[in-house]
Amino acid sequence: MTGILILVTFVGLVVIAFASIIQKKLADSIILFMGVGLGSVILFFTFKAPDVALTEAVIGAGISSLIFLMALKHLGERA
Amino acid sequence: MFEFFNQPEVIKTIVTIGSMALFFVGLFGLLTQKHLIKIFMSIAIMETALFLLFIGLMYKKSFLAPILSDGQTGFTNMNDPIPHAMILTAIVIGMAVLALGVSFAIEYYKLTGKTNIDEMTSLRH
Amino acid sequence: MSFKREVPTTVMSGFALSGVLVLTILNILLQNIPTKIQTAGDELLKLNSSEGVANAVTSVVVYFRGFDTLGEIAVLFIASLGIGLMLESNSKCDIKAEGNFMLQTASKLLFPIIMLFGIYVMIYGHLSPGGGFQGGVIIASGILLLLISHKNFEVPHSVIIWLETLAGVSYVLIGLIGLVVLDKFLGNFLPNDISNMGLLLSGGIIPIIYIIVGIKVGSEMSMIVQNLIKRDGDV
Repeated sequence: MTGILILVTFVGLVVIAFASIIQKKLADSIILFMGVGLGSVILFFTFKAPDVALTEAVIGAGISSLIFLMALKHLGERA
Repeated sequence: MFEFFNQPEVIKTIVTIGSMALFFVGLFGLLTQKHLIKIFMSIAIMETALFLLFIGLMYKKSFLAPILSDGQTGFTNMNDPIPHAMILTAIVIGMAVLALGVSFAIEYYKLTGKTNIDEMTSLRH
Repeated sequence: MSFKREVPTTVMSGFALSGVLVLTILNILLQNIPTKIQTAGDELLKLNSSEGVANAVTSVVVYFRGFDTLGEIAVLFIASLGIGLMLESNSKCDIKAEGNFMLQTASKLLFPIIMLFGIYVMIYGHLSPGGGFQGGVIIASGILLLLISHKNFEVPHSVIIWLETLAGVSYVLIGLIGLVVLDKFLGNFLPNDISNMGLLLSGGIIPIIYIIVGIKVGSEMSMIVQNLIKRDGDV
């Protein structure tokens, strides 16, 4: 059961990461980058590492995405 | 089919191939994209792939997380706590360096107004 | 997809070939790892019961590798210094757009709950998953919620300066006291019996150091977030 969960999550993660890079607008790239963070939190939780999962959830999907959104605002691009 | 996917060799193969594929997606973005913020995003994706590889290789199926729960008295049959501590440090430092890099990009845009790396040629003459 | 015209085919084929080679070599090497290796973590788990702390990852980060945590705090401090140098401005910030009234009411309700949760995760770091880094960043995200919904809210500079200074200095002071008392930098000089495992007051200096780390990380993250949001003139 865990083997199939790891396989499906990895496939989804690679597809979302590839879609995040080849977008034309910057705002879509940032939203799909948050999806990469979510997938990696699910994987850390399956590997039985709760401290690492909590840290990645708070920093990867919280502060790191906020930094990119603030860059979007200061660069003057339309959302 | 469920028993085939739960063997330790198959799980190690899936983790290795998956995280290396994510690493190469990030490397592809680093080499071909032209916008400065997308280059930083590709570097962050590469770092996430390495953390997944590190923790996924030390995963043993029947062991528990390294925290004492209610009914236990000893630290036996637990996962290794040293890789968890190292990855925790690495995640925080990666985020700090990314924040510094993005602030440099914002200041450069305020000075010259360029975000495409093909136009940043002021050091070439 | 317009990027296909800019990248030459030699680059892409070399890229794909190197990727396939790396994957096959790694796969062959990693199949031959024996399933029972004696790692350093097994010995550390046996040593961990002498400290009396229920969370093994916390005792590795704070006690067995405490010097690395001191270096990591230094790296965070330098990054926050660099961001403050680049984005700080002296002119009065003039924000023209204030948040909606729904956002203002909801943020006043949510802010105490977020702060309480952050302080809980920080204090119970040695009994359940969590700790100083996670709790500090949760506190910074609570302050972020107030920053984006109210027009005149600003964390004053002097509060953050004093919190950071006191937290950083007391970390090194506790290490020096351990050097004087026990002949070991960051030695455990408070009582840490194994009979107290699972209680809040257990483990000696380990919860105290993690609370100090949490205060420092929380104040630095708040400063980084505030510098990124407020800037002169063009908000």
